Amino acid sequence: MKSFFRRFMRPIIAILVIYLVFLLGPIAGLDFPIIVGRIQESPKMLVQFLIIGLANGAIVAIIALGYTMVYGIIELINFAHGDVYMIGVFTALSTLSVTGALTTNNPVHLVLGIVAALVVAMIVCASLNVAIERLAYRRLRNAPRLAALISAIGMSFIVENIGLIWAAQSWLVPSFGTTGGGAQKSFPDLLSKIMISLNLDPNLLASTGLGLRFTIKDLLVIVLASILMIGLRFFIQNTRLGKAMRATAQNRDAAKMMGINIDRVISITFLIGGGLAGAAGLMAGLYNNTAWWFMGFRVGIQAFTAAVLGGIGNITGAMLGGFLIGLLAAFSDGYMDARWTNLWVFAVLVLILIFRPTGLLGEQVGEKA
Amino acid sequence: MKAEIKLALTMGLLGGVVVFLFGGWSVTVLGILIGVFMGLSIGGRVNKKDGPRKLALQSLSTAGIAAVVFIAVSLFQNYVVAPAGGQFPSELYIVIPANLIGGLGMILFTALTAALHGLPDRQERLGKLILMVVLVIAFPFIDRITGLHWSGQIIFALIFVILGLGLNIVVGFAGLLDFGYAAFFAIGAYTTGILSSPQHHIFMNFWLVIWIALGMAALWGLILGTPTLRLRGDYLAIVTLGCGEMMPIIFRNLTNVTIKEPLTCWIIPGIMRLFNSSAATKCITIIDNLDLTAGEKGINPIGRPYLPFIGEFQSNNPIPWYFLIILLILLSVFLIRRLRDGRLGRAWMACREDQDAAVQMGIDPVHTKLTAFALGAAFSGFAGAFYAAYIRGIFPSVFEFSTSIIVLCIVVLGGMGNINGVILGGIIIMGADRLFLPALKDLLKGLMDHTILPALASNHTLQAVVAQNANPILYRYLLFGLTLVIMMALRPEGIIPSAQIRAELHADEETSAVEKAVKN
Repeated sequence: MKSFFRRFMRPIIAILVIYLVFLLGPIAGLDFPIIVGRIQESPKMLVQFLIIGLANGAIVAIIALGYTMVYGIIELINFAHGDVYMIGVFTALSTLSVTGALTTNNPVHLVLGIVAALVVAMIVCASLNVAIERLAYRRLRNAPRLAALISAIGMSFIVENIGLIWAAQSWLVPSFGTTGGGAQKSFPDLLSKIMISLNLDPNLLASTGLGLRFTIKDLLVIVLASILMIGLRFFIQNTRLGKAMRATAQNRDAAKMMGINIDRVISITFLIGGGLAGAAGLMAGLYNNTAWWFMGFRVGIQAFTAAVLGGIGNITGAMLGGFLIGLLAAFSDGYMDARWTNLWVFAVLVLILIFRPTGLLGEQVGEKA
Repeated sequence: MKAEIKLALTMGLLGGVVVFLFGGWSVTVLGILIGVFMGLSIGGRVNKKDGPRKLALQSLSTAGIAAVVFIAVSLFQNYVVAPAGGQFPSELYIVIPANLIGGLGMILFTALTAALHGLPDRQERLGKLILMVVLVIAFPFIDRITGLHWSGQIIFALIFVILGLGLNIVVGFAGLLDFGYAAFFAIGAYTTGILSSPQHHIFMNFWLVIWIALGMAALWGLILGTPTLRLRGDYLAIVTLGCGEMMPIIFRNLTNVTIKEPLTCWIIPGIMRLFNSSAATKCITIIDNLDLTAGEKGINPIGRPYLPFIGEFQSNNPIPWYFLIILLILLSVFLIRRLRDGRLGRAWMACREDQDAAVQMGIDPVHTKLTAFALGAAFSGFAGAFYAAYIRGIFPSVFEFSTSIIVLCIVVLGGMGNINGVILGGIIIMGADRLFLPALKDLLKGLMDHTILPALASNHTLQAVVAQNANPILYRYLLFGLTLVIMMALRPEGIIPSAQIRAELHADEETSAVEKAVKN
């Protein structure tokens, strides 16, 4: 009897789970006949969702890098990271507003404004992230993990509140008719505006006649993200500091004995992570055209999911995970039901953590717990 | 002596700040409450042999200083702040008795509580118990007579106290960090909502539903707890966060549930189609377009409890609700104490301290952790059922991440693993959130409109900025975040620490002390 169970337990459970997915999945939008029907109806849309997924995935991947680098080096989930990204969106919006780029129609002015916004957002977010580490995490480095994690959650709330207050300042954030800091603010679509002012079509694939939308926004996000990722990879693999970071992540005490200034390396990790989050903030603002004080939480969870999916501590893994999560979200929005998209992201997070906590490409964290 | 003066000033000012916001009769209530606190805190460090009379006399000086500070702040509020905020100062026939009773009550209760510490142990405990019972019973009536209307908000605080007590089992006793505790609160509330509202035309009795809610929450605690057992500390936290975040999404979107049996609806027809057969099978629909949770609109109205003699509990009369929640808290505290001191509770703590060692001692970690999850969740079922009945309506947005974190704040602030600490933490955090901040907002608004903004009239931009940001409700999350960060940095063991957790969190200091001793 016992051997019977041992032999057939797994397949029986598997069949049961599959049956349950078929039975209950449709409630949450996972309705295979409908999905297949929609794909057959217009295969072109699949390419479209691929583009949207890649662009959003690029943003998620950039944020995921911040999570994964910090986790790799001090084994802490920096909960505030998603909110640092939100601050990046608002910094970019405010910079554009202050430099007058929101109201001008001059393409040169617009481009310069966007470049300024990128630089300012990266600097502000990098400093914020370093400050968070200095204020909240450094003294807890040797405390139990629970303490550091609770502190990180607290920091996330603090940064969210800063965003809420920031959004309410009408002299910093143009309101476009919304009132109060709680409302979603609109982030103008400046890239299309540049193209239109140059008498070009923002949709780069318009002339192909396929009806696909591949706009200048998609191009910019994917190109900028790729540049940042390649740059980061180069930095980590080929520079002295990158080497120090890898050494610290591998074994903090040994790195210390080799003369590496641990505090400085950790600060630099936070600095880079914050800078990337700032860049992601500008990209997300230009791409999705919204700014909201609470946007950091959801995107932060998506990015953390991406980091875990790829294998936490693993830079390449975070990029891969980001693109996968972006594709999942776009696919779920398009073919399933947008209301349930977040549920599926959370489901991936939970399932990955439970069944394969090392992620797709394997985790890279130090020996010291 | 210096410490006593410090205590007197802190307590006097602390009470003063609250009086500052509420004015009127709050002096009386606060005076008595602070008297008790002061008595407890003086009593904690005196020499027991002195006897009750001497202790009472000793405490008088401290109480006197505190009362003077307190009354001074109260009068300042009444005659300076209130007019500046555009309100009329209270009439003399309120001011004089309120301040007199408040000040004298503070002195009297300080002396009384301090004196209790001089009694033999058994009598001391009995005395404290009687004092607490009298205060707790008297509170809603005093609240009603003085017209403060704090009861309604205090009930919210007490709901969160139950939540804190439940989370304390998971985080404090068993050491499993749970970021998704609001999920179980939601399950308790929605169970109540579905079983006693016109949504599904089911009107079950509250006294039955509350137990069903408890059972459902515990069951879901088991279900969500099972897969998380083999995870490390921070991954466990994230998985609970994920599960906790899924709950409001699910409750928000279960508005048109259709369940079709997959074999008959797709799989067999699909295979048929592969073979170009047109034989039609009958599709079995189990549930067709059911609106389970009414989405964002929420479920309301939810049935209220009914008792003979009292009748149905009404929203405009908080007293029965107050006693019901006090009863639930007493029951929870009783159960949790028994659990903590029993075999299971000791197993939780052993697993928290060192799981490997605990396993070697014959403790089953799976059983231990699962029961912690399920029992912790069960108490939030209580809270959820009460909440749903009290509010009469439930909405998915109530159960989001921030609620989980507020409950975590309560546990962390009060002291992980300490029941009294969690109760105190709940009252402080929710009191601040529900009473203090709104009152501060009103006070600031009054001050702004009548004093500050006219003073800034010359600079319009500054005036606009100040007017926009002078709303303390805006800084709510900042308050919670700061609580967590500061507590973790300065006093991770909480206000009233449990001895084991303190030892654990200050482990390195201890070892360094040992090292020092060895070196010397």
